[in-house]
Amino acid sequence: MSRALSWRAVVVWALLAVLPALPFMSKFYLLLAFDALLFGAIAMSLDLLIGYTGLVSFGHAAFFGLGAYASAVLLERGVVSLWACLLFAVLVVGLYALVVGYFSTARRGIYFALLTLIFAEVVYTFFRYTQTFGGSDGIQGLPPPRLVGGFAIDTPMRNYYLVLVYLGLAYIACRVLVTSHFGKVLVAIRENEDRARFLGYNVQRYKMAVCMISALLTGLGGALYPGRSAFATPDLMLWTVSGEFIIMVMIGGLGTLAGPVVGGAFFVLLQEKVSSYVDWYFIVIGLVLIFIVLFMPKGLLGIRELLGGRRWRATA
Amino acid sequence: MARDGVVLEVDAISKSFGALAALSSVSLVVRAGQIFSVIGPNGAGKSTLFNVVSGLHAPTTGRVRFRDRDITGLAPETINRLGVAKTFQITNIFPEISVFENVRVAAQSRVRESGRLPSLWRLPDVEAAAADLLRAFGLAAKYDEMAENLSHGEQRYLEICLALATEPTLLLLDEPTAGMTPGETKEATALIRQIASARGLTVLLIEHDMSVVMGISDRIAVLHFGEKIAEGAPEEIRSDPKVVEAYLGPPED
Repeated sequence: MSRALSWRAVVVWALLAVLPALPFMSKFYLLLAFDALLFGAIAMSLDLLIGYTGLVSFGHAAFFGLGAYASAVLLERGVVSLWACLLFAVLVVGLYALVVGYFSTARRGIYFALLTLIFAEVVYTFFRYTQTFGGSDGIQGLPPPRLVGGFAIDTPMRNYYLVLVYLGLAYIACRVLVTSHFGKVLVAIRENEDRARFLGYNVQRYKMAVCMISALLTGLGGALYPGRSAFATPDLMLWTVSGEFIIMVMIGGLGTLAGPVVGGAFFVLLQEKVSSYVDWYFIVIGLVLIFIVLFMPKGLLGIRELLGGRRWRATA
Repeated sequence: MARDGVVLEVDAISKSFGALAALSSVSLVVRAGQIFSVIGPNGAGKSTLFNVVSGLHAPTTGRVRFRDRDITGLAPETINRLGVAKTFQITNIFPEISVFENVRVAAQSRVRESGRLPSLWRLPDVEAAAADLLRAFGLAAKYDEMAENLSHGEQRYLEICLALATEPTLLLLDEPTAGMTPGETKEATALIRQIASARGLTVLLIEHDMSVVMGISDRIAVLHFGEKIAEGAPEEIRSDPKVVEAYLGPPED
């Protein structure tokens, strides 16, 4: 398949770009759209691990939360440059991912998942139960970051476009990556790790590299979060958040990149809509997810196939 | 000592798993261009020998040298990059990607970008090499087929294609005809011989079926309970009483 963008993708991007101009897009809906795209992008980053490499990370909330805290810590101290926040998030998340990746990729399957979970829980516990960064309250009342000089990302609309650019760049990066030499090796590792070694690939190095890339993309997403919410709290790295990321990938469609973006957005919108009607919204969400997993094993994106569209390919 | 033409030298390799001695002091010298077969009944230590040469197991004692370089205990990926490729007795392919993508990922292991930064965005063009290989093994029509959908015989060929795509000097074939019908076996044997000579390969072959190796081997070593009991040209091996005994049991007077 061509590495270039299809016309369908162009239409989708164009619609996303004009979305804020639509009459019903209140500030509330803009922030909801922000969340949908942000978590879509993070699910996409996680898909590099789950869908392409066959590594189920159960600790992505830590990458997300550390990115958010990195940027919150700077904003709290009056360093309001967005670029400084992003750079600091890359450093913090990169360092942490290096440690997690080094130990986790040495193990396979369930052990990999458990190690990522345990590392993430350690980070959560540190932020939640020590007062270093505000304990359970986290860091509150943050000023908006600035793009350049006096241009602050202080409206829902500006936040929306910021996250749209982030999603776009992350998508291009992931798309190029999975269609490259490197991406082909990732799929080979997913399919048959031992055989890949006998073809001359240092499998652990590849796993480390993809963990780093996925973690950094997730951390960058996290760094954008305080700009939208004006806070960073330990709840961002609760293990259930990691679980939600995995669910987003699953319901979107493993190994498709675009699928998890849809899955993430769908999850955010579903949660918002259902919770505005009933208190027991998790039951409804759970039922919807069970339905999708049972009857749409290829995820929301697989619906094209159900409707008689082109054949779905895990590695297309 | 004349080192010319020696591709692989297995020097007094022993390998024990706990109390079980899978190999005891086995030595072999494989020369360039040879098809060297290792035969023996099931459980003779043939696969262990391969696993030691290809880097899956480190030997308990002894050395393995490939083109005068000590490769004892190196990792499988390192040994592969030096020019030793292995096929597996139980088909070991990438099941849920296409036949072409299988060979592609093997072939791109040898391009300049492999393992370097540009491999993150570049996709090397290895289509010609992959197509050549698939054609040679009669798999050209299955190019886009999912590998798991191939017949057993075709999967065995794809297995060999994967190894060959990494452009080895030495090819290790672990019972390449396992599970094939006699007709397929004959065809496969001829094909291996032809491709080895066309590509100037040195081949180390494991087989428990004597009739397969007699036709194509330049030299044969016989393993029995982890020890080398004979080595020589096919006709010497065929008439060696120790070999006959190992295969058929002691003669009854």
